Amino acid sequence: MAYDTSVTPDAVADLSAREMRRSVMSRWGLRAGVVIGWLAFIGVWYVFSGAVLGTQQLPPPHTVAAEAWQVVTGDGFGATLWASLLRVIVGCTLALSASIVLGMVIAYSAWWRGLLGVLTRFFVSIPTVALAILALILFGVSGLGPMLTAALVATPYVMSSVAQGLTGVDRRLIVMSESFGRTRSQIITGVLLPSSVLAVIGGARQAFALAWRITLLTEVFASSDGVGFQIRRSFESYDVRGLLAWTALFIGLMFIFENFVFRQLERRAFGGAHVSQATAESTQ
Amino acid sequence: MATILIENLTKVYPPTPTYPQQVQALGGVSMSVTGNVFVAVLGPSGSGKTTLLNIVAGVEEPTAGAVRVVQDGVPAQVGYVFQEPRLLPWRSVLDNMLYVQNRKSDRSKREAEFYLSMVGLSDVAHLYPAQLSAGMQQRVGIARAFLVNPDVLLMDEPFSHMDALTGRSLRDYLQRIWAHTRKTALFVTHDVGEAVELADRILMLRPGGVVFDDIPVNLQRPRRPDDAAVRAVETEVLRRFDSMEAAVRFGDQRN
Repeated sequence: MAYDTSVTPDAVADLSAREMRRSVMSRWGLRAGVVIGWLAFIGVWYVFSGAVLGTQQLPPPHTVAAEAWQVVTGDGFGATLWASLLRVIVGCTLALSASIVLGMVIAYSAWWRGLLGVLTRFFVSIPTVALAILALILFGVSGLGPMLTAALVATPYVMSSVAQGLTGVDRRLIVMSESFGRTRSQIITGVLLPSSVLAVIGGARQAFALAWRITLLTEVFASSDGVGFQIRRSFESYDVRGLLAWTALFIGLMFIFENFVFRQLERRAFGGAHVSQATAESTQ
Repeated sequence: MATILIENLTKVYPPTPTYPQQVQALGGVSMSVTGNVFVAVLGPSGSGKTTLLNIVAGVEEPTAGAVRVVQDGVPAQVGYVFQEPRLLPWRSVLDNMLYVQNRKSDRSKREAEFYLSMVGLSDVAHLYPAQLSAGMQQRVGIARAFLVNPDVLLMDEPFSHMDALTGRSLRDYLQRIWAHTRKTALFVTHDVGEAVELADRILMLRPGGVVFDDIPVNLQRPRRPDDAAVRAVETEVLRRFDSMEAAVRFGDQRN
């Protein structure tokens, strides 16, 4: 095949360059916004700490950072973290496994959708703190309570999002495939399966975030180790610095998992980095 | 030589829970397109333009009537450019191109790269759709339609979501690439200027999906929107469009 590249108009090349420039500037704008947001947050913290609440009630950021560093470098941090992390992983895995099965069931069966819809509304209505206390009563001070509570609370949410992902396959992509003469099996492997994988990754992400929060809350009531237990201990000894340090570490861990585990997984599955963000940029 | 033969095509959508009345999208359209011509289907919203294109593409079934899209007596290969790009978000630009190819080989990859270069996107073949602007995504959609070496090219208002500058550049590009490939093209639009600039023939549909007029456009290519001859034809088409609106308003059943 002889290619005649002379048909490419210069105007199109100029357009490409302009669009790329706009896209790059938009990305830099977003990064600048993130940095300014963090600086503003730390600034407000300093103001509240120094001028509104006082450093006893709200220690300033650098004190909390120093305390967090001490916690990280001190004895027992690894064991505490691992105790919580293990519960989160088990709780998350239980929730995700149940959600994939139940999500598929409610995606393709109206009867099950009706039945599980009632149960979902029931479980979602139960206050998480009540479940945490119930776990303490049922399982005592042990690791089992936080795990099961996390799985129980996360499952209805994750199940709904997996079901939505499965039923919400973009019909337009299927029409596109049909118009180009793709076969049924090509459409299944090229469109339907990748769409479902995305729903499962999204569900895993949601399950993990929920499991972290619920595990910690349950550890406050029903555990003798873990990050939640440390937060309770800090509260009981009125150690605000310690409480904030553990909270900051918890937020840091969430951030690490979100950005370095789930976003990477999503990138691999979805391709483009920060899909929703980039889409928003492209439509500006 | 590709031929599109449409006979008394009718499409009625049944009532739905959200719209409890049946809708007649096409009311007996008959037309034929033969050879390397660029036909614009022009009409206001609700005139069944997209429905007509979808039926020709084979992704919708007509209620009545028949459509034949053939190339030398066998079913023709169709390339479709949609209103929005419809790219698979989990595949790179190049992989999106290759998805519509029947064979996966070095040659098909080279062809994909060639068509990407024709739309000025050689440098972004490795990127994902979400990393491109809307205009760039649409150019991938156009390149993808040409990649399958279609006998018939169907385009459904491909520039309607573009800003004016981007739309104009893409129209220029489409004129050139079409002049290069000379595919039989059916181009749906509601923009009179766009239709006159691109088409050899303008088929005007009125609401309810009935052909109102069939206007030949015998102008030299490439055409520019500010050419006097283009503007003269545009004025004539607009005049006929006005008479169609008047006919609709006063209940004229002219076909």
